[in-house]
Amino acid sequence: MNNHWMRRQRRLGYVFIGPSMLGVLLFFLIPAAYSLGLVFTDYKFMNPKVGFVGFDNIIRMLHDKLFYLSLKNTVLFLVAVPVSIALGFVVAVILNQRIYLKKLLRALYFMPYITSGVAVAFVWMLLFQPKQGPINGFLRGIGIDHPPGWLSTTTTSMFAIDIIWVWFLMGYNMIIYLAALQEVSPELLEAAKIDGARPGQLLRKIIWPLVSPTTFLLLVTGMIMTIKTFGIIQATTQGGPGNSTTILSLYVYQNAFRYYDMGYAATISWALFIIILIITAIQWIGQKRWVHY
Amino acid sequence: MRKKGWLAGFVTLALIAGVMSGCSGGGSKGEAGGADAKAASSSGTVKLKMWGGVPPEAGPQEVMDAWNKDHPDVQVEYVRYVNDDEGNLKLDTAIMTGQDVDLFVNYSASQATKRVTSGAAADLSSFTDYNIDEKMGPEAEGWKIDGKYYGVPTTKSSFFVALNKDALDAANLPVPKDWTWEEMMEYAKKLKKGDGYGFIQNTEPYVDPIDSVLAKEGYTKADGTSNLDHPLVRKWLESLNRMMKDDQTTPPLGEQLTSKMPVEQMFLSGEVPMLNIGAWLLRSSNNFTDYPRDFKIAFAPVPRLEEDAANYVTRGGLGDYISINAKSKHQKEAWEFLKWYADGGMAPMAAGGRLPASKDSDQDAALKSMLGDKGDTYDQESLMYVMFDNKTPTFVRTVPQEVMDLRSQEYEKYFLGAQDLNTTVSEMVKRHNEYLKSNPQK
Repeated sequence: MNNHWMRRQRRLGYVFIGPSMLGVLLFFLIPAAYSLGLVFTDYKFMNPKVGFVGFDNIIRMLHDKLFYLSLKNTVLFLVAVPVSIALGFVVAVILNQRIYLKKLLRALYFMPYITSGVAVAFVWMLLFQPKQGPINGFLRGIGIDHPPGWLSTTTTSMFAIDIIWVWFLMGYNMIIYLAALQEVSPELLEAAKIDGARPGQLLRKIIWPLVSPTTFLLLVTGMIMTIKTFGIIQATTQGGPGNSTTILSLYVYQNAFRYYDMGYAATISWALFIIILIITAIQWIGQKRWVHY
Repeated sequence: MRKKGWLAGFVTLALIAGVMSGCSGGGSKGEAGGADAKAASSSGTVKLKMWGGVPPEAGPQEVMDAWNKDHPDVQVEYVRYVNDDEGNLKLDTAIMTGQDVDLFVNYSASQATKRVTSGAAADLSSFTDYNIDEKMGPEAEGWKIDGKYYGVPTTKSSFFVALNKDALDAANLPVPKDWTWEEMMEYAKKLKKGDGYGFIQNTEPYVDPIDSVLAKEGYTKADGTSNLDHPLVRKWLESLNRMMKDDQTTPPLGEQLTSKMPVEQMFLSGEVPMLNIGAWLLRSSNNFTDYPRDFKIAFAPVPRLEEDAANYVTRGGLGDYISINAKSKHQKEAWEFLKWYADGGMAPMAAGGRLPASKDSDQDAALKSMLGDKGDTYDQESLMYVMFDNKTPTFVRTVPQEVMDLRSQEYEKYFLGAQDLNTTVSEMVKRHNEYLKSNPQK
């Protein structure tokens, strides 16, 4: 009887996950498999002739200077993640104290995350304007004669994008940290204080280790999200000037929807997938050294 | 074992997906031909959809209303797509997936070619009652794809430098009818006031000076390699760079791009006296509410890099290449509409700077409706010259997007000082050659 019941239960389980699995199958697994197939073709959207080209796309990618440049830019873009985590943590710790306007400040820091990306991009473009922008106006005001060109020069553009991205991610990181800080048991902190721990030590030796699972979560999700995003760049620089802000995800987009070169775009997107997989695996293995549960 | 099974399933899926797409790709071409014949017999009103990139209020809606009033049995609906990457993708997807697209406007020869290769545009040579060459003149030739018309070029497109006539008069400079790049640079220097600029360019025709050279001399050399190291390309790079850095008569490109510089507004407010642009400027310059203006606009052809005027070709010719969807069930009706449109139905479009190209249309009336009640705020003689009387041979831009992009990426780096002239030229040539290798010319 027990066996029979178990089987019924299992069948019922499948019924429950059925609809969502169907969605995953239709909108994720099949397209993903399809794109893997595309890697080995020269399929161009709008062109009815599709040929099997073997590993040509992969070889082309490995010789593509722009691919490596986009890879480098992606790495530069990823710098924003740890920075935004560190800042998020600091802000969360401060806002976790008894300070004035705590709730308002929390809301303000979280605002960027729920604001429309395109609107944000335009505001930042205005702020970053090299000649009339308020940022450079301020810099000139405090005596810097040649403030950076921000988005408008090849050397600073990726850095400027990083600033926007840190600003965007920070609020989210802060909220998650605030939640994590509630979990830090006051007894531990009190005991440490009685033992004579200074605030810095409390932060380093007790709070930081206790929220390390949160840090890990933010690091992994932040990295994945950052690698996948391209909207902010598409809205500001479109990968320019030159190709100084072309990151991999944008490069995929351009190949697919600007040049209609689907085969090559699929190839790069699979490379991107493998890169995300490797980075996540490294983080997963590395976490054992510093994440405490 | 389990792992293998999973992998096998995955591969099978990929194969199935591949086969499925293969079928749909092949199948769609087969049915392209005969579908139109029987559909017309089904009675009732025929509904046509026309996709174009001009906002409906800038003319198209008026055109559609006029047609629909006189043709109760064939109603045309206008669908606007924005003429950028996303918009074109939207149109292409609609065509490929068989949504109702009966007519569509192509704005560049490379877009049109793409659609013709995919079998999306009907071959118009089967309609014999309208001679495109005869109606539109010799310039239509540039729109032939593999020797055939897959669309009707409907507008006279003109590209020019718009000039602030008052500023020119004040500086005692004549309105040029033919000028060199150097002369333009001199003008810019003389017209520059204080920190302002003397010459700005819309990003669309930005590269036209070098395209003019390459359209004439060829994008590739005799041996099939890139011709992007042509001396005049160098000259263009160097001289523009000088204008940005030394003369400071034109904005640095990086700044222009990232601040999305509103060049029309800068010109129309009188801030900058010269603007390299095309006929669509009229859309803004006729609009005194958003762009109040207190000077007269004169027009000059785009300055030439070429020393010898006899060698010069200028961008222009015809534009707005309207195709009929090869899969449309109402090709005959679409064709009737298209003829009517080209021969004058499109007159309301003139308000947005789109003049009809057909010799049977009333061009004077179109010109009048283009200028509206603002006629005396333009120097009409030079306007007539750049739009109609200038007999310089023209070219239509045919460069693939990939080449446009690789060029602009490299020259942006140059104008930003991130790489020197020689590197820029050699990188452009290298990347162009790579492109040529992986995309052999048909």
